Parts: sequence; C-alpha cells; structure tokens
Amino acid sequence: MVTPIKQLYEWYGDRVKFLDIFVRQSHPGELRGAYRTYEEKREGAQEHKRQEELPWPLLVDNYAGTVHKAYSGGMPDPVFLIDSEGMVSFYGMWTHIPTLKEAIDELLAHGGRGIAGGGLDRTPHFFASFVDGWRGLRRGGKRSVLDYDLGAGGAGTLSFLGNKAKPLLAPLALRAEPLPATAKLALGGALVAVALAGGLLRGRD
Amino acid sequence: MSTPKREPPDLTSPGALSSLESRRQLDEYNYEHFRPKHLLADLWRTAKGEGVQPGSEVPDFELETTEGERVCLSALRGQPVLLHFGNAT
Repeated sequence: MVTPIKQLYEWYGDRVKFLDIFVRQSHPGELRGAYRTYEEKREGAQEHKRQEELPWPLLVDNYAGTVHKAYSGGMPDPVFLIDSEGMVSFYGMWTHIPTLKEAIDELLAHGGRGIAGGGLDRTPHFFASFVDGWRGLRRGGKRSVLDYDLGAGGAGTLSFLGNKAKPLLAPLALRAEPLPATAKLALGGALVAVALAGGLLRGRD
Repeated sequence: MSTPKREPPDLTSPGALSSLESRRQLDEYNYEHFRPKHLLADLWRTAKGEGVQPGSEVPDFELETTEGERVCLSALRGQPVLLHFGNAT
C-alpha cells in the first residue's frame, strides 16, 4: 500500500512543493548507531531515500540539527505547511496525515495564503507510528526496540504488535482521509481488542 | 582565547557545523540511546506548543539534498510548501 504521506503527494504534489528534512536518529541501536559525523548522516539520508522510495527531495540538516531545533525544538515527527508568502499556515507537532489533508484543502481553498486547519495541532498522534514504525526500529536493531520499551512504556513491543496487526489496522491507522466521529469511537474499541489479543498471542511464544 | 560571541544560529550553511555548538550539545542532540527523558522532553514541548507558530514567518535555510543539490527555502516563495522532518530509525 501507499504510505499516507505519499498519498498526499499523489493528490497535491502538483500544487504543493513537498520537502523532507532528515534529522538525527530517534532510535539508534546496535545495527544503526547514532551518527557521529555529518557525512554519516548524509549517507543515512541517502539510504533512507532509496529504501523508502521517497519521490520528493530529502534535505540533510547539519550535524547540530540547527534547522530541526529552530523549527520544532527537535520534535521526532513534525510537519509544517508553509503558505505561498512564507508564513506558517499549519504546524502539526506529531504528523497526522488526515489532519494535514484537511489543512491543505483549506489552504488551497483560500488561494494558498493564511492559517489553515486551526493552525496548531498539538495532539500526540501515536497510532500510525505504532502500526507503521516497526520497520524503523528493526533497522536500528534489538537495542532500539529495548530502549523504546524502557523509554516509553512498552512502545517497542506495541510497535511489534502493531506491525503484526497491520493488515487489519492499516485502513484505519494509515489512511489519508479524515474519519467521521462515529468511526473514531469504533476504532478506539477495536484498538483495545487488538492490543489484548496481541498480548495473549505473544505471551504464548 | 576570548569568549565566543552569542549570535543567532546560521541556518543557511549546508551541512556546516556552527562553531557555537559545544561537543556536549552535539552529543545530546545525537544521543546514543532513546531514554525516558527524550519522550518527556517531546511531551513537554508538545504541552508548550514549542516551535514556529502559525502566522509567523518561517526561518529561512539552505540545505543540500541527498543528491547534492542546494535548496533555499525562500526561493520557493509563491507556492505552498509541505515541510516534514523525520528519520528512518
């Protein structure tokens, strides 16, 4: 399936310029340690662009993360929608594609200028990263998973389970279109059920 | 040696290291292990809404792409830009 941000690129790539900035590793491990130099970071970025088949330009921030820190203080997965006059139209502190899509629609409806989508989204959207984040942790290695488990209350295991349940959860977790409110309620119930079932399955191994 | 002057960070030099960043700051940013303090810092930033605020002008930068092409953000004025930050690991 197409990852949701690539879906947005398919829909809006002709009207919105897409850019990605490569930052430090969030989850270094024994297979991929923290970058020690800018050159290592640049090589990591080239590998990332190839592996993820990113169709838009990937910029490499400097070793100090100067741009990363200036924009977000160093958030792991932020997104900025910048209007045609160079002002922030929308800032998602934890990228959530359906919310971003609504902001893009609103910005384009207003001629590409002004604040859209309420301006700031501070909600910690973790769901998509638990369903789609396992790939990244695996690249880091066992230590990445362990550190994530210890550092964020079992988030490594949750990513493992989310990946297992991906065929089931992807239509909800990795969608690009916003959900109606009733579907959101149903989704909450389903997530709890899957987490319980997954815990039981893993406990049997 | 005299104390270095505090100047705003230079966001326009691609890949270059600002001499104002100490080794400690660099190591802190490029941490070896994800720790609870990193999650807490992210949540604290979230609570404060830290970052460039809606309606304010974005800081300009010039960085290199993975293909070695230099991109200057301000040169893209005139059309909306979607700027996403992240890493694979």
